[in-house]
Amino acid sequence: MSDLEKMKKNGGPLSVGYTFCDGCNEAPFCGMKFYQSVDGIIRIEPWPHFPAAPLCSKAFATVQRLKNPGRLLYPLKRTRPKDAGDPGFTRISWDEAYDIITAHLQQIKKNYSPHHVFFYVGDPKEPRAAVQRLAVTYGSANYGCESSTACRRAAQLAELLTYGFPTLGNLPTDETGVMLIWGTNPAHSGQPFMCHGHLADAKDRGVKFIVVDPRKTPTVTTLADIHLQVRPGTTAALAAGIMYVIFKEELYDRSFCENWIHGLQQLMAYVKQFPPERVENITWVPARKIVKAARLYAGNGPGGLLTSAQGTTHDLNATNNHRSLLMIPAICGYIDIPGGIIKPTEPLEGMAGPWADGPPDFSLRKQLLAMNTYRLDRKAFPLWAEKMFEVQTNHIVEWIHQGKIKAFLGWGVNMMIWPQTHEYQEAIASLDFSMAVDYFYRPQTHRFVDMVLPAAMNFERLAPFAVHGRRIFGRTPIQPAGEAREDWQIALEIGTRLGYPETFFNGDVEVACNNILKLWGITYDDLREHQEEGILVPAKGQPIYHKYKTGDMRPDGKPGFNTPSGKIEAVSTDLERYGYPGLPEFKEPMQTNAEYPLVLISGARVPFITHSKWREDAPWLLELQREALLSIHPKNAAENNIHSGDMVRLKTPFGEMTVKATSTIMVVAGVVSIMHGWADANVNELIPRQFDPVSGFPPYKEVVCSVAKI
Amino acid sequence: MARYGIVVDVARCTGCMTCMVACKEENRTRPGIWWNKVFQIENDVSGSIVYIRHACMHCDLPPCMDACSQKAIYKRPDGIVLIDETKCRGDGDCVLACPYDAIEINSDQVYFSEWGVSDEDVSLINRIHPPGKASKCNFCVHRIDKGKEPACVESCPSTAMTFGDLDDPDSPVQQKRRQPVPLLNHQKFRPNVSYMIPEPIDPISR
Repeated sequence: MSDLEKMKKNGGPLSVGYTFCDGCNEAPFCGMKFYQSVDGIIRIEPWPHFPAAPLCSKAFATVQRLKNPGRLLYPLKRTRPKDAGDPGFTRISWDEAYDIITAHLQQIKKNYSPHHVFFYVGDPKEPRAAVQRLAVTYGSANYGCESSTACRRAAQLAELLTYGFPTLGNLPTDETGVMLIWGTNPAHSGQPFMCHGHLADAKDRGVKFIVVDPRKTPTVTTLADIHLQVRPGTTAALAAGIMYVIFKEELYDRSFCENWIHGLQQLMAYVKQFPPERVENITWVPARKIVKAARLYAGNGPGGLLTSAQGTTHDLNATNNHRSLLMIPAICGYIDIPGGIIKPTEPLEGMAGPWADGPPDFSLRKQLLAMNTYRLDRKAFPLWAEKMFEVQTNHIVEWIHQGKIKAFLGWGVNMMIWPQTHEYQEAIASLDFSMAVDYFYRPQTHRFVDMVLPAAMNFERLAPFAVHGRRIFGRTPIQPAGEAREDWQIALEIGTRLGYPETFFNGDVEVACNNILKLWGITYDDLREHQEEGILVPAKGQPIYHKYKTGDMRPDGKPGFNTPSGKIEAVSTDLERYGYPGLPEFKEPMQTNAEYPLVLISGARVPFITHSKWREDAPWLLELQREALLSIHPKNAAENNIHSGDMVRLKTPFGEMTVKATSTIMVVAGVVSIMHGWADANVNELIPRQFDPVSGFPPYKEVVCSVAKI
Repeated sequence: MARYGIVVDVARCTGCMTCMVACKEENRTRPGIWWNKVFQIENDVSGSIVYIRHACMHCDLPPCMDACSQKAIYKRPDGIVLIDETKCRGDGDCVLACPYDAIEINSDQVYFSEWGVSDEDVSLINRIHPPGKASKCNFCVHRIDKGKEPACVESCPSTAMTFGDLDDPDSPVQQKRRQPVPLLNHQKFRPNVSYMIPEPIDPISR
């Protein structure tokens, strides 16, 4: 008899259910099949046939998290002032919670405007569609998310400006000869999903790998033929150096370049300033490796690409850094060919962009865009505000101080996302009203809000269902713990209480899902009937390539890419229109000096933690790492007489903190690395509120620092 | 009779710790007890970093078995080494005898105890993992007996582990290209978990 069977106290048969993991913050997540006894969920395994798999440590730990007695089970209301040490949170009913929320919303609409309420979705991303619908129906143009703060959107903006379609690259296919993996560690961060096994299989088939990363990650150690261990923030110089070699040695795809790249001559002239020897000085990457990488990538095509959602955009040259690396596969002609970088041929009808954002019709995207002039980010980041429907949130401090925001409604908020976190905590605490939905009480955020609402966990949610390509899957939720409600239900019920019962389906989550599913002629009941295998919405034809020739790249059906020039834009006409430089220019990052001799990077993932989640949520994972660790190269450790386990003072020109050091060759000498999101060692307090002028992204991977043994 | 074993392809292991947590989920061991561990091992000189997944090796000549004065450790005919908790007194001789540090003594700790755990739950965990008794990987014997692989092997996202019958020429463990080697002084113990060590890397080219 297994331990699990022994653990079934009351015996009885096991029932089977299905849901998705929310351990990292991709949506839709990896699929889990679960087994339930009278004692609740006792075991999970990968959902057979589900496209996102296999599962990782975080998914297995959701079973323990579900039963964590520390979960939020009831709505909580603050009873003491914001400056009190103890907020005095008191249990209230859902009715009272909704009464308070709607009273504030109606008051603010009357006294100011609906745009004075900021709607925010952090992590998980699941409630985005429902919360957008709520924001727009209420009448606010100011909706933002973690992606529009510091995650995916800067890279996405660069992709749209350059290629005219969003892409993080593709997994290698049978055609692929060489992969360029830039600033991401798919062995741990799973982009897309836990794909390392696929990459290792590709290596076994003979695919070559070039990995660009300041860290010697498992992606490097298990896959890389060439590792370019780059100085943080110098992406555009390294990319220019690689292109210098490709152009000089005439390894580029001349016909593709001449026909399909706008600004080719300017790009060629620009990268002439970046011979490998100069690039070595800027980037720390040996010149011979730059030459080797350029020859391997251009000469071993088709070449694929995997980039990070944000690894290359956490510096003050974010947009151009990412744009520059995108030009490497472009000049090699690897765009929209088998084995290269593919735009999907037939995205699911009714969708525009990732599933997490919901279908535009449901999310009321058209109505949101019609209110664009009321967006608070238009002045500081005008091109962003034109291209991205979510508000760039980093200036929220100023907007609150200027009285432009009076209330903040957040789902899955984590205030540690922002640089100089305390400024955001203080600003949000000063609002007329703020609210957060979460699984657990998290002091670093909830100490500063007026109300905390308990969210149902992944096993307890019906919405959203999952869309993978053209296949759709439903889930079979169990009864939520305590009075927890799923994110969607909370958004729909607030909307209903505000006086829009029809728009919000009287708070019924399944009816809301069916409203979306009718796009494809199905209902949630149909998903239940095809529970394990899901429902495939058939495509009209086969995948096609070279869509820039066929007219399938652009909504108007004309040949070309979906950019103003109809070509891949080495010189961005959109950027020029707003007075930014058109070329993906290199900008020298912050300079180390005698006082601050090292570069600080954060954001590199630990495989069993996503952001600040999982520190206390699941003790199994907490046991794997109990505290923040600063990785320092043995050479730099020796220079400072630091040994693994020593407490050190980490200092930047913008803040300082005490943290435990670990000496490891995983980081390149000259760089120290720390995981973000530790409440008692919040590295973002050491990062300035300075932002990339195009995307508004903060320099999480650029700031100079010193490390001293205590 | 089968002789079960695992071959670990070190070149595919990324240190993601999924096998460790899958083992927790499967076997519900006590706080601080990890039947299955992953270590990061660095070589400053060659610049290499590898991850070594490590648990009970289910040796053919298990030194733990010989060390136990209570004869509480036994080996099944299929090679799986198990602890009979009714005989174990928790003396810890096996802990010292194991060259792989694969055995620990259960504490009386339970998860979430700070919230107050019911007597029923405590007696349940005491039955499964008795406090004061030796505790180690049981190869997920309950799964093997049903024809499944151990949880760690099945869960590995990078398929770095292969499980099978070492005596069966058709078993997937025989399909590995390079000859795997056991760790440490194996002649004395003949462990049934062995490792494919990556080719030395060329630090210049990387």
